[in-house]
Amino acid sequence: MKTSIEGRPAFAHFHVDLEPGESIISESDAMASMSADLDMKARFNGGFLSALLKRFFGGESLFVNEFTNNTSATRRVTLVQSTPGDMSSMELNGNSICLQSGAYIASTTGVKLGLKWAGFASFIGREGLFKLIASGDGTVWYGAYGALLERVVDGELIVDSSHLVIYEPQMTLKVQMAGGIFSSFFGGEGLVTRVNGKGKITIQSRSLSGLKSWLNPRL
Amino acid sequence: MQTEIIHNPGSAAARVHLENGETLTAEGGSMIAMSNDVTLETTTKKKGSGGGLLKAAKRLFGGESFFFNHYTAGTTGADIWLAQTLPGDMMEMQLDGQTVILQAGSFVACSAGVDFDTGWQGFKNLLSKESLFWLRVSGKGKLILSSYGAIYPIQVNGEYIVDTGHIVGFDETLNFKLSKAGKSWVSSILGGEGLVCRFKGHGTVWCQSHNAPSFGKILGPKLRPR
Amino acid sequence: MNPQPSEYESRIEARPDFSFLTVRLQSGQTIKVEASAMATMDTNLRMKTKMRGGLGRFLTGESLFINEFTAQNGPGELGIAPGSPGDMDHISLKESEVLFLQNTAYVASSPSVNLETKWQGLVKGLFSGESLFLVKCTGPGDLWFNTFGGMITIDVNGSYTVDSGHIVAFSSSLEYRVGRIGGYKSLFFSGEGLVCHFSGTGRLWIQTRKIGAFASWVFPFRPSKRK
Repeated sequence: MKTSIEGRPAFAHFHVDLEPGESIISESDAMASMSADLDMKARFNGGFLSALLKRFFGGESLFVNEFTNNTSATRRVTLVQSTPGDMSSMELNGNSICLQSGAYIASTTGVKLGLKWAGFASFIGREGLFKLIASGDGTVWYGAYGALLERVVDGELIVDSSHLVIYEPQMTLKVQMAGGIFSSFFGGEGLVTRVNGKGKITIQSRSLSGLKSWLNPRL
Repeated sequence: MQTEIIHNPGSAAARVHLENGETLTAEGGSMIAMSNDVTLETTTKKKGSGGGLLKAAKRLFGGESFFFNHYTAGTTGADIWLAQTLPGDMMEMQLDGQTVILQAGSFVACSAGVDFDTGWQGFKNLLSKESLFWLRVSGKGKLILSSYGAIYPIQVNGEYIVDTGHIVGFDETLNFKLSKAGKSWVSSILGGEGLVCRFKGHGTVWCQSHNAPSFGKILGPKLRPR
Repeated sequence: MNPQPSEYESRIEARPDFSFLTVRLQSGQTIKVEASAMATMDTNLRMKTKMRGGLGRFLTGESLFINEFTAQNGPGELGIAPGSPGDMDHISLKESEVLFLQNTAYVASSPSVNLETKWQGLVKGLFSGESLFLVKCTGPGDLWFNTFGGMITIDVNGSYTVDSGHIVAFSSSLEYRVGRIGGYKSLFFSGEGLVCHFSGTGRLWIQTRKIGAFASWVFPFRPSKRK
């Protein structure tokens, strides 16, 4: 399988060249173009009940698509997100990462997707009750509105909740409601996440709630 | 005429440099800045064309006031900066007698030798009223087009499927067939109208990585009611 | 404009589409930031003063909300993300040097930069009815500003015409005059055709997108008011 992500960070899209027999799984509305003889199958995302949970609480779709190359030559499919923005990938070797709902785009078949409880404050802030955990062996592709920027945390960092995309499972998050000093200078819903621990996080340099706040007074 | 495209594929703008006497035809509203040795003529028809595009053009662009600006540079030459409304890419195409079918909203500007007409009806039967209109562009000269999303080409050599909301333009030599999503595909799979285009033959399809209505449907509901 | 040294350690990433400003304040150093642009901050950053009502924001003339932050007991970083997608740039203004800045473009500045939203000679009607206006920024100090879309810098030597919705900033050495292009008033809608003619010598910053056109595009996707 050869993949390349183009158009970063504004309109990232990725081309997947599948060798005969290879497959890739993607979220449901991700296909922009593809070779006509690739097989595409819609599947429920995990078991039926967990798929429902993911839909209502995690913001992920009920379905995923599996693209398989059953021909004898290389075939291409091009996958995108429904919002503009950046995309990147991560190799998993038995480890796991936590993704904000909506950040998942695609993965190879060895990667398992599960749910992690994110807390009520997160739900009220419309960030979703659950975050997605990707684990196993393989590659996971993710994206967000804005550019993806990595930050190293050693101690504590305060992040506007609508800007956090990925964090490592050993880090702890505490989501705080807007109030006090935080409401006036963080954008979006005024919800902040205190990230504690040692590890890497990925933030997005824009958010849909920030875009909404900027646009609303000028409509 | 020289063209420079910057800030692509996300916030693309084109700087067109015209020499003395050269003309550029650009969609009204696409000019963001210009140096001042330029004469500007605003019409609803293509410069030099016999009939008017009036009615057809208005329908084409959704009935809004539609017009072209014809820029002619004076003796010292001129720079004209062009951009479209939405974030996205831009591309320059050199036409040398071939014909391309272009999504109407992708047209930005062209040089004097390029002709376009609104007569192309290839997708008419299957697309709904709100959907895109198409231009048939031919001639010899430069064509500047834009897209929502990054533009990427597909060299068709066999058969290729493209979601219709992702087509910017394609060579007229290609065969194509439109279809709704097949029974084995869940309808939520595709963004836009759930229509795909199967291209067959040999030629290029210019695709855009994203489609604007998908983004509109995500952003719109978050905004203040109208 | 000759480059001046910056008082701050900073970097801008993800230009020109989703530019992000990171500023590293030295212990005791202060910076002014446009309210609601904060994306990340170290825990030792403090808001400098509290205004009446405890809001902690400065309201400068018409709708320009600004917060001041100071790093305490050590250096601290803040990450700033404007709401609109686009580009960002930084300039260091000399003592008494003036830059005119479109209000939504303001991101951050040194406390020493004077920001005036109502000033002698302010031209109304430069931007048609979009609650946009020009802020007069006087140096010395650092100033960061952003654009909607990509940023284009033009060194004017003679004259240049710019569609008003695309104006971001310009040096005070330029003369400017509002006008309409083409004379085809009936063919224009929502402020299209309103331009600014610049003349003289100086620098002009323009943006590749404008708010009014984007707002028109998103209109049909917005929810409709319940009757």
